[in-house]
Amino acid sequence: MQVRTTACLFSRFTRYRGAHTLRGHREDPRWPGWAVVVGIEVHAQIKSRQKLFSNMLTPEPSDSPNSLVSPYDAAFPGTLPRLNPKCVELGVRTAIALNAEVQPRSAFDRKHYFYSDLPSGYQITQHYAPIATGGRLPLSNSDTVVRITQIQLEQDTGKSTTDARRRTTTIDLNRAGTGLMEIVSEPDLRSPEEAGDYVRTLQALLRSVGSSDGNMEQGSFRCDVNVSVHRPGSPHGTRCEIKNLNSVKFMMVAITCEVLRQIKLLEGGLSVPQETRGFNEDSAETYALRSKEDAPDYRYMPDPNLPPLLLDKAFVSSISSRMPELPHVTRARLMSRGLSERDADVLMAIDMGREVGYDGVLGQGAVSYFDVVSERRDPKVVVNWITHELLGQLAVRHETFKENTMTTEQLGELIDLVQSGKITGTSGKTILRNILTSRSHVMPSELASELSLFTLPENGDELEKWCLNAIEALPEQAIAARKGNTNVLNRLVGHVMKTSRGRADAKAARSLLQKLLNQPEP
Amino acid sequence: MLENFSSPYDATVVRLLTEAGAQIVGKANCDEFGMGSLNTYSIHGPVVNPHQALNSTVPWTERERRSAGGSSGGSAAAVRAGLCDTALGTDTGGSVRLPASYCGVVGLKPSYGLISRWGVVSFADSLDCVGILGKSVSSVERVFGVVSKYDPKDPTAATIETRQKASRACIQSMDLWGCGEGSGPLSGLKIGVPQEYFPAELNDKILTPLRTVLDGLKSRGATIVSVNLPSTPYALSAYYVIASAEASSNLARYDGIQYGLRVDPPPGSDTRKVSTVYSHTRSKGFGPEVQRRILLGSYALSADAFDNYFLQAQKVRSLIRSDFDRVFKISSPLTATLRGDISTAHGPAKTLGVDVLLHPSAIRTAPLLPNPDTTGSKESNDLDAYVQDVLTVPASLAGLPAMSVPAGLGEDGWPVGVSVVGQWGCDEMVMSVGKVVEDVTS
Repeated sequence: MQVRTTACLFSRFTRYRGAHTLRGHREDPRWPGWAVVVGIEVHAQIKSRQKLFSNMLTPEPSDSPNSLVSPYDAAFPGTLPRLNPKCVELGVRTAIALNAEVQPRSAFDRKHYFYSDLPSGYQITQHYAPIATGGRLPLSNSDTVVRITQIQLEQDTGKSTTDARRRTTTIDLNRAGTGLMEIVSEPDLRSPEEAGDYVRTLQALLRSVGSSDGNMEQGSFRCDVNVSVHRPGSPHGTRCEIKNLNSVKFMMVAITCEVLRQIKLLEGGLSVPQETRGFNEDSAETYALRSKEDAPDYRYMPDPNLPPLLLDKAFVSSISSRMPELPHVTRARLMSRGLSERDADVLMAIDMGREVGYDGVLGQGAVSYFDVVSERRDPKVVVNWITHELLGQLAVRHETFKENTMTTEQLGELIDLVQSGKITGTSGKTILRNILTSRSHVMPSELASELSLFTLPENGDELEKWCLNAIEALPEQAIAARKGNTNVLNRLVGHVMKTSRGRADAKAARSLLQKLLNQPEP
Repeated sequence: MLENFSSPYDATVVRLLTEAGAQIVGKANCDEFGMGSLNTYSIHGPVVNPHQALNSTVPWTERERRSAGGSSGGSAAAVRAGLCDTALGTDTGGSVRLPASYCGVVGLKPSYGLISRWGVVSFADSLDCVGILGKSVSSVERVFGVVSKYDPKDPTAATIETRQKASRACIQSMDLWGCGEGSGPLSGLKIGVPQEYFPAELNDKILTPLRTVLDGLKSRGATIVSVNLPSTPYALSAYYVIASAEASSNLARYDGIQYGLRVDPPPGSDTRKVSTVYSHTRSKGFGPEVQRRILLGSYALSADAFDNYFLQAQKVRSLIRSDFDRVFKISSPLTATLRGDISTAHGPAKTLGVDVLLHPSAIRTAPLLPNPDTTGSKESNDLDAYVQDVLTVPASLAGLPAMSVPAGLGEDGWPVGVSVVGQWGCDEMVMSVGKVVEDVTS
């Protein structure tokens, strides 16, 4: 299983191999004569139930400040870290999803700096030996493949909020010590739009493997971007880093602003000094935070408490075989079952909204809903019912797929009733509407009989009764029919239809009548 | 810094002892954050060594004021003075063995990773060990049996499997004692005396007790051989770089925000940077020795010095380890596991190696406490204090079990200790030889 997945990934990526170096310069009307280079560092919160090195719960934004803090999280003397294996598993899932190489030996280091939301005075990260290196992420909207330098596991800090008026800073340590994945890209992006595409693709990928919920607004997914400009054909320019961008939109605006600022400097005969910059969302401007000379010395030191993290191939394979399907594998599988690209896209787009639970447990999405219903049913018919009828009706109600109350059993039976001709398509839609409106758990067959929507009474005895009745009522015609007179048989069918008030299936009645007439007389 | 701090939880060792029925009678004085060799860097003042010659009639107030050694001087003094049966201390570079030697009690620094560090205020995580002090080896052994337990809360704790592996190798080797060539209960026991442990600073007036011990062991059948541990001269420098680097990191948490002492910046002072706000608390809360080591350690970790100091010291550390591995009969179960080569840990013991090493615990008997009235030659005193650790730090760097056992009195009438050092996990063997040393000198 593992081997096949890898091989599949490989062939997918070889198509793009070297694409980033071969990409020619594409003139951008916003900055003619200039080329833009962007690299992105993403900090994605690991969606683990507990923190990276303590068994305290990972906080939700709604938790009251300092309510989820263990003595370790607050750096009390004598406390020691204990690596949460779930965080390792989710890091490995991410590495596999990014086609990166999980390192057989990685290690943890301390990065030292004094800040009020960092109680121990250092952050544990993987500076010298990251958990995975050398990945690739193909973007969704283009043929571009972005190389991933490395993935590191590290601790998040607490949050400090300064009230300038009251001259006080409040500290919330709930977030202190929760797990982060730092995902570093190579400088392979060439425009703000590509940067946006990269971030959205990465968010979707992390969500699909359940390693992070990738929520930029809530701060569980944060970006630092490195931007430089140069004349096409000449070497890359000096880069500036813009820190803490909290939405894709603002990130793209910040890159655009930074590109224009750097071009203005260069065209004015000045140079771009290497520095770290912030972004003001209100004025749409970046501003200097610190220059290269002011860059702090973090005094990195291997953490003497944490032994090296040893992950062998068997472990990586076992994670790989248990993890959720990767998006491109899902797409290929759906299309191999006969779905159109459009249908597959619709299902997968809805799937993106599924809940990312703790420790890599994903909520049920549209794809798995489809998978369950289409088991032993025609996939094309099932996807039509889901995308047209179910999603259509939910849209009418302004409900999302998450709010759908119709079970896979209900939809499955409904499709069977329509497909077998027991109810008409129109009746099926009526039943679907009824189930959604009343949020009912009654099975469609029950509803059909309640609403007298069966084209045929569900009880087969009824049809036999009507047929015997017709044979009895028209004895001469019955004798003629027994001899093979088909016109006369139609009269008998007509009688059945009359007594059943149109609910009987004519075809079924015809074959049952033939069967009954051909039986030796009692 | 932590004067008014009380921990919200119990250390694992305290929990284990309490559960086993031990009574905790009090906390002992020590050097601030375990940094010091004479127990003089303490807010409570220095610990005075309670040793007194058996025939002495000098009243307490007029006695010679000698150091109890550091950093766990209070624990050693409490045992020596009979205030308790046994005491715990921490040993990062000799802080249990040195006071034991000066006070004339037994002090064990177990193999690194056997006793949980959960609840131990970190000085240098890769070296810190909980040590045990007692009047006799058997009292130390009793406590060791209670507290040497695997604790999942300590990420550096030796696993149960590794413990069993080490214990099997140790017992196998000890089973051969008395069955070797020659006669006597200790025939087959081979003791190495490392030549490098007799440096110029060593006061030769302590050698007589050591000779008595060696003669006694020989008369019981043990073989005494001279061995070389050539990297020893570099151990002290490497130790101070590593220990200070880790200390500078571990002590970064004392910032006056979450707990402990807080000194508010005086009105009008610069509060734009967090570090300048912290500096008021840290300058007031840390004593001079702690500040010195934080500065030294921060320098060793700085980008410019890291390669020349910290990495260099780590290289020396691995040389020290291989020095020891070369002389011991039993292979280290730790390196064997790391190499994935378990067979060597159980394989036939190297016939050339020694079972344990034996050397003086300290370069001298307890020194006089510095006179509070004389302030001169401060710097040379500080360097003297560092030299006290010269014989104890190699075992710390290698994570080996080492125990100082009283070996009688030096020419000045003050206690002399000898140290028994074994392969990792051979704590039982070290204590077993320690009992013979006790027997020889009694």
